[in-house]
Amino acid sequence: MNRFARWTETNRWIWSALGVALLWLVLAAATARLTLESLSGVAQSASFLVLPALGQMFVVTTGRGNIDLAIPSTITLAAFLSMNILGGSDAMLPVCLAAIVAAGLGIGAVNAVLVVRLRIPAMIATLGVGYVLATAALLANRHFTSYVVAPALAFIANRRVLGVPVMAIAAVAAVLAAGFVLRRTVYGRLLSAVGQSLRAAELSGVRSGRIIASTFLTSGVLAALDGMVLAAHAGGAFLEVGSPYLLQSVGAVVLGGTLISGGNATALGTLTGAFLLVLLVTAMQVIGLPIGVQEILEGVVIVLVLALSGRMSGTRRPGTAR
Amino acid sequence: MTAQARAAQVKTGAAAGAATPAAVAASPPIIRLDGVSKSFGPTRANDDLTLSIHPGEVVGLVGANGAGKSTLMRLICGLARPDSGRIAIAGAAVDLDHVSPNAARAHGIRIVHQELSLCTNLTVAENFMLEEPAALLAPEPGWRDRFRRRAQAQIEAIFPGAGLGADDVLERLPIGQRQMVEIARAAAGERLRLLVLDEPTSSLDADRSAQLRQWSRARAAEGVAIIFISHKLQEILDVASRVVVMRNGRVVADEPAAHVTVTDLVERMGGNPPHESGEPAGTAARPDAEALVTIAAAAGLADHAITLAGGEIVGLAGLDGNGQRDFLHALFAAGRGHDRAITCGAEPGFVSGDRAGEGVFRLWSVLENIAIGASIGRPPLARLSPRAEQGLVRPLLERLRIANARIGANILELSGGNQQKVLAARALLRGSRILLLDDPTRGVDVEAKAEFYRLVREVAAAGTLVVWYSTEDAELLECSRVLVFRAGRVIRELRGTAISAEALVGAAFAGEPKAAATGRAGAAHRGARGARLAPVISLIAVLAAMVALNPGAASPFGLDLLLGPALPVALVALGQMFVVGGSEIDLGIGPFAGLVSVLAATWLVTAPLAGVAAILLALGAYAVMGALIQARQIPSIVVTLGASFVWTGIGYTLQPTPGGGSPAWLAAAVDWNLPFLPTAVALLVLGALAALALDRARAGVVLRGFGNDARALQQAGWSSVRAAALRFAIAGSFAAAAGLSLTAVNTASDINAGDSFTLLSIAAVVIGGCRLFGGSTAPVGVVAGAVTLSLIGALLGFLGISTDFNAAVQGALLLGILALRTALSGPGAAP
Repeated sequence: MNRFARWTETNRWIWSALGVALLWLVLAAATARLTLESLSGVAQSASFLVLPALGQMFVVTTGRGNIDLAIPSTITLAAFLSMNILGGSDAMLPVCLAAIVAAGLGIGAVNAVLVVRLRIPAMIATLGVGYVLATAALLANRHFTSYVVAPALAFIANRRVLGVPVMAIAAVAAVLAAGFVLRRTVYGRLLSAVGQSLRAAELSGVRSGRIIASTFLTSGVLAALDGMVLAAHAGGAFLEVGSPYLLQSVGAVVLGGTLISGGNATALGTLTGAFLLVLLVTAMQVIGLPIGVQEILEGVVIVLVLALSGRMSGTRRPGTAR
Repeated sequence: MTAQARAAQVKTGAAAGAATPAAVAASPPIIRLDGVSKSFGPTRANDDLTLSIHPGEVVGLVGANGAGKSTLMRLICGLARPDSGRIAIAGAAVDLDHVSPNAARAHGIRIVHQELSLCTNLTVAENFMLEEPAALLAPEPGWRDRFRRRAQAQIEAIFPGAGLGADDVLERLPIGQRQMVEIARAAAGERLRLLVLDEPTSSLDADRSAQLRQWSRARAAEGVAIIFISHKLQEILDVASRVVVMRNGRVVADEPAAHVTVTDLVERMGGNPPHESGEPAGTAARPDAEALVTIAAAAGLADHAITLAGGEIVGLAGLDGNGQRDFLHALFAAGRGHDRAITCGAEPGFVSGDRAGEGVFRLWSVLENIAIGASIGRPPLARLSPRAEQGLVRPLLERLRIANARIGANILELSGGNQQKVLAARALLRGSRILLLDDPTRGVDVEAKAEFYRLVREVAAAGTLVVWYSTEDAELLECSRVLVFRAGRVIRELRGTAISAEALVGAAFAGEPKAAATGRAGAAHRGARGARLAPVISLIAVLAAMVALNPGAASPFGLDLLLGPALPVALVALGQMFVVGGSEIDLGIGPFAGLVSVLAATWLVTAPLAGVAAILLALGAYAVMGALIQARQIPSIVVTLGASFVWTGIGYTLQPTPGGGSPAWLAAAVDWNLPFLPTAVALLVLGALAALALDRARAGVVLRGFGNDARALQQAGWSSVRAAALRFAIAGSFAAAAGLSLTAVNTASDINAGDSFTLLSIAAVVIGGCRLFGGSTAPVGVVAGAVTLSLIGALLGFLGISTDFNAAVQGALLLGILALRTALSGPGAAP
């Protein structure tokens, strides 16, 4: 039993995985409408959450209350950008890809400069940047023309291979890559060090500014790529396309077992956390709960999970140190 | 009492202070410690110590750094519990299981700590109030006057002619005056029996120090006992009737002050250090050793350049806080190329004695904590190889005598001494040729210390330069060279055999250190005034621009039209201001205003009682959320973000589409006219006044105190959870007022109406001149900021710019102001 406790301590993703299994069993027993088919639908929706959530996870892991609130606007802006550049054909795909990555990097770089150089708390810096981006999306909306989705993007966003959504495969690949970087590389170790104690990391010789900046770049790029495929999935860009991902990206990270106080992240947990969150939302829809109640429950679940895990991990509030 | 009378009393007091030992011993002791021991980890800070303090005594307590004085004082004041021994207060034995600062305080025992525990954002009188914890919401009209009088009287009694106003804000006072406030505050209690003064004169000039000593003698003559701790031995001999000398956690001398001289004291403090290894102390630098660090005279450290070479162990000595640690960090920064006056031949390794704060990575094993040393400087995507790392780390562990079996244990499972070895191993693994030690053996047992010393010698012998700051003078005997610091400069250099306990104590204690510089406070004051005026100026500028573009805006009707939409924004911003004052951010405050607006437009119209109950319930939930954030120490930003979905969800469930009505009385509340004063302006002024009144009330002052120094308030006996609940209740109330005004003005509600207020409120708080962390509030500025922000939309309209740019301009303004503030405040400061 003790060994199991210790194992769960280092593999916190198991809780959200158990949550998924439990919720699934309950739903399957309660209604006949949940099938393997719908499971793959949930997997597909969850995949669109996994990308920005992975970015959020990297930012959160740098500790001291760091968070990226510019994710929803980045997704929205990238959605418009990709639709406008592609114009429904694959010909412009390389240009589009380059533009999306550049936009993500640019947004991440602005966030990084504000947080690292100008020492503005991440929550406020990214919130402010988010509003500027929202205006940009508003302008893009004015010039939005095409509702035709480029075939290559449609394949990623909507198709299945052997019954498995292509997007889910992409998400799992991203999770594996993130997990590898976190656990097996020098970067992952330095990131964890910065998140546990910025002072200790700097005195050990870690260039913490570069590490923190890199997480904002990662988050920007992942959100931008997500916006691109999301537009393809939705069959066009619209202003609210990114908004669910503000709370959900944080929620998937928290549910997955990544420490909100920083220093320890689990990519696998973010995957299962995203799956749990989307399953929860789907279940509420299937049961037929009104949208308002769905929002209430989503908020309550995240606050409760935080409150329950708060003290265990020795969490520090933001603002106690830069 | 007149000044003359006071002076006369001082003279008689001086005579009484030197009461004969026989007379003193006859009265029962205020506190008696009998065979008391206290260890921190493996360190015996107090060792079988016996001491009595009698009424009417001034006891001078002296001892070298690390002699155990502070621990003794913590025991006396109930801040620490002894491991063994007995303590009796006023003749009655103390139950050692129930030792607390409050119990000691109830017995009239007070302490002035070396580090000040004042809230710098509050006034002198307000700081006096904090010393008397009361129920947060208990109304006490006239409290401010009461504490003003008390502050004034007490400061004047101790420091006649101090010229301190009770309404002076602490951050605008020079450090010396702050120290006077701290002393007067502790001495203010009616029931004072024993006052402990820990280095009370470190920032006082000679006159004020003399006044304090006079007062001490006078109070002693009235039967109060005073313990006076100071490194200024002349002062001790001047003020004390009895002198107690501590060394290695024991009392080594206890005699009437009249019988000893400064030389005697220095000799008794020095004595034999615990350095009993018999090995030669330190290694002398070889003449051919390579210079690794060069500090140019331009660095301002000394009049000449200083060169430190490989193989040397350079100790940094002097009284605590005279620039030794700053020097160490300057060297570290120089190694990373951040300093021109200091050149470092290599990037230094750093080992800190503050293991919890800047040493260990608490989530990691011993192996990972050491192995990170080998990761520094490798390419980011290089693979980690646990096996290779074990190969690197195992020999180190052997060398450091840490059992190999513990390699996988969490770092926190190790003793302090072993943790320290792990940190040293990390630095060694990095292989730097310069090693900086910041009081590395703090709280480490004697045996581990000896091993650490051996390690340092080995490292130096291999050609590494070791720079070692220690708060224990005895450790400096391990060094081959010692730099003695005072007031940020090297005043003496000792080498080789010249390094002895006597020489160190003598060098550090020679002469009087200069009082700290006072220049900074003035500049900060000017900056603060500028920050307070900026929002009002920007508001006037925006208004002027609008009137220039459209003269009709200046009419009462035009102003009402323009400023009407600003009211809810200003109210939400005032709520956010209270949250930010506690170093938190509320991302749900806008949606909460939306929810209250919906409640007002629906239930409050159809079922007024249920409506009122629902709004009160929502406010209660807000307060509980605040308490939860504090009690569970979870990030407010995620909790309030989650809560924002709850508020929106409830509002949406109640009213899926915009609509509803406004209760007639609510509509009437915003629909009235004053001649010449637009209603919107009147309401804005009312909102600002309400916030101002709350902010100045006792509860508001306590909340600001918490934002500035939560630890100090908790120590004084205030509850942080209750304060957090109150803080969010206030914030929620302002947001609720905003919601009500929305419904009143629109005679309808929309759950999404409040969403845009969240960013606007944060921006208004920033523009209003509040710092994001640290209990600063500015209701008038915040209202001006909120109005400015809400006018920007209209201004863009006047300029013919699409309102699409509204959010961008507001966001950019927020970021621009924060960036500007960082640029102006210089490196290191938070905006």
